[in-house]
Amino acid sequence: MLIQLSHIQRLYRSDEVETTALQDIELGIGHGEFVAIMGPSGCGKSTLLNILGTIDRPTAGSYRFGGEELTHLKEAALAKFRRENLGYIFQSFNLIDELTIEENIELALIYRTIPKSERRSRVAHAMDRVGIAHRARHYPSQLSGGQQQRAAIARAIVGQPRLILADEPTGNLDTENGTQVMDILQTLNDEGATIIMVTHSPSHADLAKRRVDMLDGQIVISVRNAI
Amino acid sequence: MIASIFRSVLRQTRRHPLYVGLNIFGLALGIGVFLTLTLLVRYEYSFNAGFTDADRLARMDERWSMPGTTPYESADVSFRAVPFFKQDFPEIEEVVTFTKTNLYVQKNGQFTHFAGQTTDPAFFRMLSLRFLHGNPATALTRPDGLVLSQRTAMTLFGKYDVLGKIVEINRSGQKTIQVVTGILAAPPSPGLLDDVDMLLPVTPQERLTRSCFRFWGSSCGEILLKFRRPEDIASVNARLFDFVNTRAAGPADDDVSLGPAPTKTYTLSIVPILKMHFHDVNVEDTDNSVEQYVIDSIGLIGLLALILGCANAVNLATARAGLRAREVALRKTLGAPRHVLFGQFMGEAMVVSLVAGLCGLAFCEAFTPAIASITGEAIRVDYGFIGLLLPLVIISSGLASGVYPALVLSGYQPAAILAATRMPAGGRRAALLRNGLVVGQFSIAICIVICTLVIDRQTSFMRNADRGYVRSGLLIGQQMHSQDIGLQRRMMDTLRAIPGVTSVTLGELEPNPHSLTRTTFLHEGSKGRIKVQMLRDRVSSDYRDTYQPHLLAGRWFDAEHGQDDGPSNEEFENGNGNWNVIINSKAARAFGFEKADDAVGKILRTDAKHFTIIGVIEDIRFSSPRESISPEILFFSSLQRIAFDNPVPAVRFSGVTRMLMAERLDRAWRTLLPDVASHFAPADELMETYYSGDERRGNLFTLGAVAALLIACLGLYGLAAFAAARRVHEIGIRKTLGATAGQTLVLLLQDFLKPVFVACFMACPVSWLLMRQWLNGFDERIALSPALFLLAIGGAALIATCTVLGQTLHLARAEPARALRAE
Repeated sequence: MLIQLSHIQRLYRSDEVETTALQDIELGIGHGEFVAIMGPSGCGKSTLLNILGTIDRPTAGSYRFGGEELTHLKEAALAKFRRENLGYIFQSFNLIDELTIEENIELALIYRTIPKSERRSRVAHAMDRVGIAHRARHYPSQLSGGQQQRAAIARAIVGQPRLILADEPTGNLDTENGTQVMDILQTLNDEGATIIMVTHSPSHADLAKRRVDMLDGQIVISVRNAI
Repeated sequence: MIASIFRSVLRQTRRHPLYVGLNIFGLALGIGVFLTLTLLVRYEYSFNAGFTDADRLARMDERWSMPGTTPYESADVSFRAVPFFKQDFPEIEEVVTFTKTNLYVQKNGQFTHFAGQTTDPAFFRMLSLRFLHGNPATALTRPDGLVLSQRTAMTLFGKYDVLGKIVEINRSGQKTIQVVTGILAAPPSPGLLDDVDMLLPVTPQERLTRSCFRFWGSSCGEILLKFRRPEDIASVNARLFDFVNTRAAGPADDDVSLGPAPTKTYTLSIVPILKMHFHDVNVEDTDNSVEQYVIDSIGLIGLLALILGCANAVNLATARAGLRAREVALRKTLGAPRHVLFGQFMGEAMVVSLVAGLCGLAFCEAFTPAIASITGEAIRVDYGFIGLLLPLVIISSGLASGVYPALVLSGYQPAAILAATRMPAGGRRAALLRNGLVVGQFSIAICIVICTLVIDRQTSFMRNADRGYVRSGLLIGQQMHSQDIGLQRRMMDTLRAIPGVTSVTLGELEPNPHSLTRTTFLHEGSKGRIKVQMLRDRVSSDYRDTYQPHLLAGRWFDAEHGQDDGPSNEEFENGNGNWNVIINSKAARAFGFEKADDAVGKILRTDAKHFTIIGVIEDIRFSSPRESISPEILFFSSLQRIAFDNPVPAVRFSGVTRMLMAERLDRAWRTLLPDVASHFAPADELMETYYSGDERRGNLFTLGAVAALLIACLGLYGLAAFAAARRVHEIGIRKTLGATAGQTLVLLLQDFLKPVFVACFMACPVSWLLMRQWLNGFDERIALSPALFLLAIGGAALIATCTVLGQTLHLARAEPARALRAE
């Protein structure tokens, strides 16, 4: 088992209101799985994904990754964990406007001790894989949505992560670009990458190996797709 | 429209109190500093400007260029030329002499000092001075007349209407009875009559006996002139060379004239009184002068503070523009035309500028007394002037700080703004402008900081520099105003007998000397005939123990050696003979001796007199640190045969406090010279005037530096706050990708401090050039060490880091999930 979540709870407190975003989540994910998380808006999908990505902390519960408990780790250790193990793909791409596509992708490597020449070759390889090498020197605002998302995928895979987290990766794309992105993700999964994807699209969810449905902060169903 | 502008400013203040507060505070500080320093600059430029026909008034200066010494200009001149001026130059309407004199009024054994001037009856007419009481035309026509300043009348009698009252004046022991014939109204501007308490007529006896009325080579006071037309000044000035050659020439052995070719060493030149305040920096026997470029620099600091304040406002406003982009887009969508929006934003800038202007006025009120006490100048907030200046400042800073942001804001395209997920940053140009403004602000601030450090180092260097004698444990008295050898001996004995006194000496020169006598000496050596004009001093025994000068070579004077004693003044003027002398190291070098030892045993000549150098001492600095040390020759008197000319006693003491010792000395002095006021003071006190001016200006620069740094930091803070708001999202992405808080912190600090370091590179060369020029004005000066520059840069970087650290830490610590949602 790569990931084991048990009794995960996440509360948000404001001055007067306490909102439960996640409640008693139990979830195990194995190596090489492709999991799609579905559910209506506000059901806690993105919160779950943020906790899986360690950019948000659970209020209670345990999160083990590769057998290691993560909930007690300090911020710096979590940052190290993220840069060594995780790749992110967001609905709104989250590319930095002031950096070129190439620099955006390299960002996933510059916080590790990798020589510049190797960084360059890995970035070039990642861009080739998603087919945006010809846009390397452009800025995000000069690219179409599909191209930006492919750049974001290149950034997610350039570090050769053990887990790829995708938060509605096709949400801002048209059908054609959405399909292209799903093709890339499937290929990556076929090559052995573990992927967890939040999506609103049933057809894209069906492309995953397993589907987890959420409602009101809880997992209501977890089924394996017949492929 | 106006109501909506005010409403909008109020709403902004409520919603973003930090931004609005920074904006107003920065601008107010800039305006406050600008107003205050403008008042100071205006004051310094107003010297003598208030006198009627000031452009026709001038002073006659002498310029001496004697062999072996640096040429110098002196305001105290010979009055020998006075009768010839009107004869030779019809352009001259009036000539008067104006001679400083120390006056005392003695009451119950206590002396009160008054600064006096002796002058001619035409003085008041020439300057069109107003009297509170009395008649300016006749006030000084009687020889016992006396004109008082308002302050002096109040000090002496407690009222202004004191015509006909009798005042007994004590002039260095000589007592005269004077009758008050006029009370002078306050002078129309600072300058000529500053610190003048009393004016007396020149007595007929003085005209006959005082050497400066008789000899071209002797000087005692100033000559003031009034020309018929302003342009006459230049035309007369051009003919003074011929005038000197005609009027000051005479046979070589004539005491009255300056020899057959007087212009070889002596010329006259006219200084318009409007230029005196700045010109007198390089003129001897003047005080209360200041370098024009220092005043201009102070004015520049004021202007820069205002510019910094405006830059700060532009910076914050363009940064905030993004926050208001949606408001603009919505207004435009609802049909607001661009010019209306432009008017709205300009109006807001004007309101902010108005509030800042009023706060700035409050700052100015608070700063002015402080500046007045630091500079010692009588500056006050002149509401007539401020009333004219402030509206201009408010309007121009409103325009300067409002136009660009208003253009940017009113130019937003609504569709793009409403569709975008992020607030617009204004593009690369705006970013460049913001960074450029911070670079500019810090360049100015760092430049001022470096100048401040250099000025501070130089002033403390001057204070602490070795002056060639030991200052601690030394008290110096007044001139004795006596040629009586018996009295001089008794003074030595009386002072020596006081408990705590370890040695006593007499000298004719003292720190900040009361008069200087120079004579040219000749040496014929291996390098040929070398003539050097030397300053003459005469010292008694125990001079070495008292002042403790450093003897570099040879021996000190000894009463046992017959040739050490002398010459007397008469022997020096007329006689011939051989005497032993000591010279200073500057003189030894001027005569071409490479080592001090080489000078010992050598002969100096003047006329038929021979002087054998028996010792060389290190240079003693009694004069201003701005002047170069004069070559100096020391004669000796054992007080057996030769009297001193108005000697000044100096006392070395130990085992008692300075205050107590001064009190004992003053008491002892009174037993011998009851009519001459005594004030034994340490050397530093006597030389205070040489140092205080530069120190005060140093303090001004410190204030300027603090203000500039403060405003620059406000600018940087605003930039950081803006960047922090804009970069939350980016930081979220970076952290999601594995950046630690530490890495993020370093990245942000680098970005924020980059403009500061660019500013350092720009500020260093500029301040280096400025300070090199300033330091060149000093005879002894510090080196412009890189340490000072590094210190300023380090300080600025530290202050800048502290400024942005809060924002940066907050940003670097932000949780990535929350940061990403911030979109």
